[in-house]
Amino acid sequence: MSQYLLLRHRELPDLDKLSGYRAQGGFETFKKAVNDMSPAEVLTTVKESGLRGRGGAGFPTGLKWGFIPNNLWPHYVVANADESEPGTFKDREILENNSFQFLEGLMLASFAIQANVAYIYLRGEYWQLAKQLDRQIAELEEAGLLGKDLFGSDYSLNLYTHLGAGAYICGEETALLESIEGKLGQPRLRPPFPAVAGLYGKPTVINNVETLANVPLIIANGAAWYRSFGTEKSPGTKVFSLSGNVVNPGNYELPLGTTFRELIYTHGGGIPHGRKIKAIMAAGASSTIIPASEEALDTPMDYEEPQARFNAPLGSASVIVMDETVNMAWLVSKTVNFFKHESCGKCTPCREGTFWMNRISHRLVSGNGSSADIDLLDHVAHQIQGKCLCALGEFSTMAVISGVEHFRPDFETLVGN
Amino acid sequence: MTMKMVTLRIDEHTVEVPAGTRVVDAAKKVGVDIPVFCYHPKLESVGMCRMCLVEIGRPVVDRASGKVVLEADGSPKIQMAPKLETACTTPVSDGMLVVTTSEKVAAARREVVEFILTSHPLDCPICDKGGECPLQNLTMAYGSGTSRFIFDEKMRSAKHVPLGELIYLDRERCIQCGRCVRFQHEVVDDPVLDFYQRGRALEIITRSEPGFDSVFSGNTTDICPVGALTTADFRFGARPWEMKPAASICAQCPVGCNIVYDVRREAKSSGKPVIKRVMPRQNESVNEVWICDKGRFVHHYNESAERLTQPLMRVDGELTPVSWQQALETAAAKLKEAGKGLVTLAGGRLSNEDLFNLRELTRAQGGTTLLHTHMGGGEWTRQLGLNQGSNLGSLGNGDAIVVIASDLHQEAPLWWLRVKQAAQRGATLIVLNARPTRLDAYAAHALRYQPGEAAQAVAGLMGNHKTPAAFQTAREALAGAANLVVFFGSDGLGLTGTRALAQTCADLLMQSGHYGRPNNGLVGVWQHSNDQGAWEMGYAPAADLVGSLKKAKVALLAAADPVGDEPALAKALAGADFVIVQEMFLTASAEKADLVLPVAAIPEREGSLTSGERRAQRFYPAVPAPDGVRPDYTIAAQLGQRLGLELEGRAAGLVFLRLAQSEPAFAGLSYQALSTAEEQWPIVGRRDLYFGGTTYDNNQGMGTHLQPVLKAGERPAAVAAALDTELMDAGDNLLVLPHTRLFDQGSLVRFSRLLVERVATAELRLNPATAKHFGLAEGVAASLNLNGADASVIVRMDDALPPGAAWLPRRVGVPLWAPAAAQVKVMERD
Amino acid sequence: MLQGFMTTLKSILEKPVTIQYPEQKRPVRSRFKGRHVLKRYDNGLEKCIGCALCAAACPADAIFVEASENSDENRYSPGERYASTYEINMMRCIFCGFCEDACPTEAIVLGDNYELSFTSRTDAIYPKDMLLEPVPEDGSPTPQKVPAGAFDRAIPLMQDATD
Repeated sequence: MSQYLLLRHRELPDLDKLSGYRAQGGFETFKKAVNDMSPAEVLTTVKESGLRGRGGAGFPTGLKWGFIPNNLWPHYVVANADESEPGTFKDREILENNSFQFLEGLMLASFAIQANVAYIYLRGEYWQLAKQLDRQIAELEEAGLLGKDLFGSDYSLNLYTHLGAGAYICGEETALLESIEGKLGQPRLRPPFPAVAGLYGKPTVINNVETLANVPLIIANGAAWYRSFGTEKSPGTKVFSLSGNVVNPGNYELPLGTTFRELIYTHGGGIPHGRKIKAIMAAGASSTIIPASEEALDTPMDYEEPQARFNAPLGSASVIVMDETVNMAWLVSKTVNFFKHESCGKCTPCREGTFWMNRISHRLVSGNGSSADIDLLDHVAHQIQGKCLCALGEFSTMAVISGVEHFRPDFETLVGN
Repeated sequence: MTMKMVTLRIDEHTVEVPAGTRVVDAAKKVGVDIPVFCYHPKLESVGMCRMCLVEIGRPVVDRASGKVVLEADGSPKIQMAPKLETACTTPVSDGMLVVTTSEKVAAARREVVEFILTSHPLDCPICDKGGECPLQNLTMAYGSGTSRFIFDEKMRSAKHVPLGELIYLDRERCIQCGRCVRFQHEVVDDPVLDFYQRGRALEIITRSEPGFDSVFSGNTTDICPVGALTTADFRFGARPWEMKPAASICAQCPVGCNIVYDVRREAKSSGKPVIKRVMPRQNESVNEVWICDKGRFVHHYNESAERLTQPLMRVDGELTPVSWQQALETAAAKLKEAGKGLVTLAGGRLSNEDLFNLRELTRAQGGTTLLHTHMGGGEWTRQLGLNQGSNLGSLGNGDAIVVIASDLHQEAPLWWLRVKQAAQRGATLIVLNARPTRLDAYAAHALRYQPGEAAQAVAGLMGNHKTPAAFQTAREALAGAANLVVFFGSDGLGLTGTRALAQTCADLLMQSGHYGRPNNGLVGVWQHSNDQGAWEMGYAPAADLVGSLKKAKVALLAAADPVGDEPALAKALAGADFVIVQEMFLTASAEKADLVLPVAAIPEREGSLTSGERRAQRFYPAVPAPDGVRPDYTIAAQLGQRLGLELEGRAAGLVFLRLAQSEPAFAGLSYQALSTAEEQWPIVGRRDLYFGGTTYDNNQGMGTHLQPVLKAGERPAAVAAALDTELMDAGDNLLVLPHTRLFDQGSLVRFSRLLVERVATAELRLNPATAKHFGLAEGVAASLNLNGADASVIVRMDDALPPGAAWLPRRVGVPLWAPAAAQVKVMERD
Repeated sequence: MLQGFMTTLKSILEKPVTIQYPEQKRPVRSRFKGRHVLKRYDNGLEKCIGCALCAAACPADAIFVEASENSDENRYSPGERYASTYEINMMRCIFCGFCEDACPTEAIVLGDNYELSFTSRTDAIYPKDMLLEPVPEDGSPTPQKVPAGAFDRAIPLMQDATD
C-alpha cells in the first residue's frame, strides 16, 4: 500500500501525463461509474467514506452533494482552486503534478449530482496552471473522456477553467460564484445556499481541489478502505502545508489526527538554529495563534481536537511555525494588514474594522502606540466578531484576539516609554 | 390567492404579517424602529451595513415528533440564535421571537455606527443632507458621544466627483450601502453605477458615457442615506430646515407624479421665495417614491426674467403694455363681437379649472373649444379609461398590459417604470411599435408593424387583420388576462393615426370586456399633463385646425402656440380677425397676437390636473406669483363678468365645485375629496428615522379617480366615421416619422441650464439602407423640406430601425407632428 | 441745609463719573457681546463656511445666510461651501451670542463694537462685507486663486476649531 493518496506523483512516474495516469488505472473509475453505477451510488459511497471538505470548513462532502435538489436544473459543480490562504500551497502541487486525479474527482462529482458543466476556478496567479488544465481538458475530450454521451451513455460533461483576478475573498464560495458570473467578487447573502441557488441561480456544488482529488480513490476502493486512514470523525489523509521557522518546509501528506509534534519535528525537521518553538498557526492567516506548549504539540491535527482545545480550527491545514525570535505583535499586524487589503468592503464591520485594526496595529508596530491601543485593538476585534456577512471578517479577528490574549508582553515591548 | 399569514413576537408586541415579510418590515407594522442603512423597502435586501442586527429566537422543534417543545408553563420553548441576525434579510417565521431592546442589540448598533463613522468626514455643517440625514439621525439615536478613532487617521477621498452633469458624488461621505447601485440596477434597469475596488477603497463609479446616463438619476440622491450624492441643481442651495414644502403635481407629462416644491427666500432673487428643489411625495398609486429627472430639474421656468407680467395690446402694430382693465375690456368687447366666431384653442397644460371656465366662456358665446394636440382618441379614453381602484402597482401575474406606439421611457418615465415592474411581477406585457423601444426587454411579446400601421397591428391582435404568427401567440396570451390596460401613444403617428389607433384599441377592450372595472381600460400617453382633463370636458382637436383658425373672428389661445408649432398654422392664424393669447412667455403666437394676457405658472397658484390614468389631483401654491399675472381661470371669469356671465373666479376650489356639478365625470368630487390622505406602505416618509431624506409624506392628498362616464353595463357609443389612414408611403420622398423625447426643446425645458446636454437635437435617425438610398451618411448635415418649411438635421445611422422611414423627435425646431414626406438634401460643408 | 452744602462740597472734590463720549470711550469687558465680526484665517480665507447653523440657532431670526460652492479658482473659505450672502439684521439681533456658540469654525464672534446706529430699516441689515474683518497682513483678499487640493476641507488642518 502506497504512502500517498493525493501526492501519488511523488512515487508513481508520469502521473502528469494522460498516458501515465491511465497506466495507473486512471479514469477507469469514472468510466465504471458512468457505465455501471447510478449517481446515487457514487454519492452514497462518498457519504459513507466520511470525506470532509479540505478547503477549510471540513463540511462532510457527501452531505453537501446530497443537498442538491432534484427538481431544479441544471446543476453545476465548481472546483475551488483559488487557494489563497497565506501558507497554503497544497492544491498547487496537486494541480501541477497530479491534475488528472483531481479532474477525475471533479468528473465523478459532476456525475454524482448529474451536472453537465463544471468549472474550475483558479486564482489569477495560477494562469499557467489554467493553461495546463485547458490543455489537459482538451486531451480528455480527444480521448472521449469528456464531451457528449460519454461511453455510450446519455451523460455529457464539459469542463471549463476560470481565472480569478487576485482576490482572497473569491475563495469564499459565494464570492467565487459572483466572480465566475463576471461580477465584483463579493460574498452573497446566505441563505439561499449555493446548493439551492448557486451559479447563475442554479443548484451548485463547490469543492476544494484536494477534496475532489480524494474522490476517485474512494469510488475505486470503497468507503471502508478510505476510513482506514485518519480518525473516526476525520477520516482520510490530508496534505499539510508546513511553513515558517522549520528546517524542511513543504507539503506533507499525513493521516488526519497526526500530531503537530510529528509534523513539525519528525517530518519538518524541527526548528532551525536550535531555537525554541513559540507558536503555531494551523490555518494560515485565518488561524487562532496557538502557543506551542507541550500539550499543543501533542494535539492531533483533525477537525475536532485543535478546535476543542484551543478554539483553533484546522482550516486548510497550512501550518505556520513561529520560533522564539518572532514578535507576535508584528505577526498580528501582518495578518491584519492582509485582511485589510483583502476585505471586499461589502459589510461595514469588516470594511471599517480591518481598516481600523490596521491603523492601530501599524501604530503599535511602528512604536507609536500606547498600552491603551492594545486594549483598543482587542476591543475592535471583538467588536467585529459576530457581525460580519461572511467568514473573512471573523477570520481577521482570530489572530488579533488570540495574539493579545496569549502574547500581550510582545505588544507591550513595542509600546513607547 | 390568499396569502399565508405568520404570527411572531417582536419585543412585547405580537404581529401577524404575510409570510415572506422581512423582520424589519414586520417591526415597522407595530412601530418598532429597527435602524437600517443599506436596506430600502423598494430594493432587494442585501444585509451589507449590519445596522439592523437583532436577536432572533425560534421555537424548538422536537426532531422525532416534529412538534414544538413546550416550556413548563405551556408556552413554546424558544431557542435564541447564538449570533445576531440581520432583520432586513431574515424572513419572518411562525412563533419567532425578535428582541430589539437587549443590551447585546444596543451594543451592536452602537458599534456598527462607530465603524461607519470611522471613515465618515463628519462635515455635517456643510453637507446638504445635514438635517435630514439618516446617518445623523441614527448617530444621534444609537451612536456614542465620543470617538475612539483618531481624526488624522481618517481615510481621505475625493469630495467633488461629478458622476454626470446632474449628480455629484462625495466619496468621503459614502458609506458603501449600495442603495444607489441597486436602485440603478434593480429598479430602473439603467446599470450605470457600480462598485469599484474593494475593502476600504470600495467606491461608486459610473460606467456610462456620458456619466450617470439615466433619466431617474435624481432619485439616488433621495435614497442616499448620507450626503454622498447631491444634485448639481440643489448643491449647497439651502439647509433642509430652512425650506417650506408645498405639495404639487408634476405637470411635465400625463403621469401626474406627486411632488413637493421646497421653497425658501433667496437673496439673488431680491429676497423673493423661490423653488430650491423638487422632491417626490409618496403616492403608491401614482409614482411610489420616485420622480424622473425632468420633473426634478425642470422647475426654473417660473423664475425666468422672460416672464410676461403685464398685459400687452397691439397699438399701431406694436405690442404695448396696457392695464388689466383695458385689456379685459378690449377682450370682452371682441368676444362679444365675435359670438359664434370665437375659437378657443387650449393646451393640455391648463388645469381643470382653467379649461372649465374657458369652456363656459366660449360656449356662452356659441364659439368652439378646441384642444391643441397632435394626438387624438380622447373620446375613447374618456369612456374606457381607468377608474376608481385602479393602480398599476397592483397589476401582476394573470394580468396583461399592451403598450402600442409609445416609447414610454421617454414619454412618461414613471409609467415605463411601473409597467416594467408589473411585467416583472408576472403581468403579460405586449409591446407594439414600428421601432424597438426600451420596454421591449420586459415584454413577453415585442411586436413590430410597418410604419403607420399601428391600428392594423391592434386589429391583428384581435384577429381582424392579417398578421404574422407572432401576433397570434400574443393574442392567445391576451385571451386569459384577468385585467388588461392598454397604453397607446403617438410614436410615429399623428392626429389621424392616433385617432384610428385609439378606436381600434377601444374595440380590443370592448371585445374582451376589459373596461368599466378597476385596472382595466385605455390610457392615452398624451403629450401634456392635463390632456385627459380637456377630453373629459369635451375639448377635442380640430380635424382641420388651419381652417378653423382661418375662419375665426376671435382666436383665444391659452397655453397653445400654434405659430411656433407649424408654419401652416401661423399663416392660418394671420387670417383670424383678432387673436388673444394667454401665456407665461412671449411665444411666437404671442408675438403675433393682438392681445396678450400674462398668466400664473403652476407653482404660483392652485388648481387640479387629471392624469392619463383619469386621476384628478390637486396642486397648491408654492411661491407667490409675480405681480401682474393671473391664473387662466380668473382671466376667463373676469372676461365672463364683462359679458354678463356669472363664472367663478375667486378660488380654484369653487371653480372645481362648479365643474363637479356640470360634468358627470367629476360628479361628487371636491377639493376635500382630492386632498384626502391615506396611509402609505412602506413607510419611507420624513417622520421616519432612517429614510429621512427619501421622500415627503403625502399629507395633502392622493387625488382620486374620475367617475366612470359609462353606466354599468352600458357600451360605449360607436363611432361610425370611417377611419382615415395617415401617410405611410412618401413616394420618392423620405417618410419622416415623429417621436417624443423626454428632454425636448419645449418651452419650459430651456430654462433649466443643467439639462442643456440632455436636450434632444434635430437628429434624423434611419436605417443605413434607407440612408444609402437617399445618399445620406452618418453625421452629415442635411436639409429637410417638410410641411412647407426647411429644417436642417444631422443624420444618424441606426441599425435597429426598420428601413423605409426616418425618425425625428418632436419639438426640436422642426415642424413635425405627424408622419410627413420630406425632400432631403445633403448640405454643402462650409 | 448745612448737610446739603457739605454733600455738594464733597462731590466737587470727587472725580467725575461721567466720561466725554464719544471723545472718550470706556474699555469693554473681555466677555462683552457687541457687533458681530466674521473672522478670517491668517492667509485671508474666510472662516465662515456658510453652514447657516448661526441662522438656525438665532432666536430672533436676525441672520440670513445663503451658500454657494467654492472652487480653487475662486476660493472664499476652506472646503466646498462658503457664504455667498451673509446678513445680520442689527435691529432684530438681541446679542445673545447663540450664533457664536453654534458656529463650527469659530467664524462669527461677537466683538466689542457697540456703536450701532442707522437712519433706515434697511441700513440695519449688515451685509457680509461690513461684517468681515479686514484681511490680515500676510493674507490676501477673497476670492483667492489657490493651488488645487490645498483647502479641500471645511474643517481645515491649519486651524481646528476647539471646544
